[in-house]
Amino acid sequence: MKEKISMLVFVIFLGTISAGLLVGINSYTTPKVLKNKELKIKSSILAVLSIEYSKNEISETFAQNIEIIKKDNAVFYRSKNNEIVFEFSGSGLWGPISGVIALNPDLKTIKGIKITHQEETPGLGGRISEKEFLDGFKDKNIFQKSLAIVKGKASKDYEVDGITGATMTCKAFEDIINKNIKKFTELAK
Amino acid sequence: MVKKLEKLSYTRVGRIIINGLWRDNPIFCMVLGICSSLAITNRVENAIAMGLGVTFATVFTSGIISAIRNFIPGRVRMITYMVIASTLVICVDQFLKAFFPVISEAMGPYVGLIITNCIVMGRAEAFAIKNPVGYSLLDGLSCGMGYSYALIVMSIIRETLAFGTILRIRVMPEIWTNWVVMAMAPGAFILLASYLWIMRTLAHIEPEKK
Repeated sequence: MKEKISMLVFVIFLGTISAGLLVGINSYTTPKVLKNKELKIKSSILAVLSIEYSKNEISETFAQNIEIIKKDNAVFYRSKNNEIVFEFSGSGLWGPISGVIALNPDLKTIKGIKITHQEETPGLGGRISEKEFLDGFKDKNIFQKSLAIVKGKASKDYEVDGITGATMTCKAFEDIINKNIKKFTELAK
Repeated sequence: MVKKLEKLSYTRVGRIIINGLWRDNPIFCMVLGICSSLAITNRVENAIAMGLGVTFATVFTSGIISAIRNFIPGRVRMITYMVIASTLVICVDQFLKAFFPVISEAMGPYVGLIITNCIVMGRAEAFAIKNPVGYSLLDGLSCGMGYSYALIVMSIIRETLAFGTILRIRVMPEIWTNWVVMAMAPGAFILLASYLWIMRTLAHIEPEKK
């Protein structure tokens, strides 16, 4: 009996301490984490539009160059050259994938994609955030036919080279992009 | 008397280090942490990040477990290891997210893999629960290092064959054809098996006779 009570006391004690620690550190860091997230999105939008910025003036550069448009609860960003950027998110193979996608002023082709968050297997699916893969999306026309990430070399203007060993992640990413583009075209009407 | 004690402690410390790095190496002797060694050894930088993360988690979890080892009831010890390891890793992850977002981003995908790494629990159960804090810290460190170097050796072989690079710097001649299979699961299995075979032969580890 005594043993059981001491075990119970220990478990309660352990639970309280670890939960307290987590709650404490979470409430302490949340504002900073949110701020980092906001800066991350802003800097990604600047980067995807190839606007140069210095690390300390992300917010200022962003305010000067980008106009925020709100429509039906959705948010777009418009640059001075009339390029449109919007955020996208969806589920990858292992966790959520989110990022920003920029369209050329003709609103038919992709200017660039940048991934802000992903939890895919490092070295395999995780390579979707690498520049070599994302560069493949440049100037792809995805409004007539939906985007396809293919094995081997892409030959058509709606196809993109896939990543070897990451077929499932590529498939998930393809779905995310297509869904978000569809949602965007409906909103933009 | 003092000299004798010194000698004894030296051999103990020496033994712990040699065990972690060689005789009881987590990868090729204890065969722990195999999942992560298969998954992330296709690039050297991944191996280094994972090695550092696991070393950190093993050292501190072992240290804490060892410090409170006399209070841990036997029946809930496993849960205790798990709670301590995950609390620790999440706290550090949260701290990095707030103050070093760049590092945190690079470490992001590894956090789950580090918490669930068998080595952290394995060392807590096999060593920290019955040894004093100092030795436990050292044991965690040497096992972490043993794990890291095994990962780095494997990743050097895999990255060279699969991409022709090491840490993204080209090492193979331009005419080299990438062995894509080495970046994928089959390559990892073949290499891990060969690595285990070679290292176990070198370390004279015999399979247990029944």
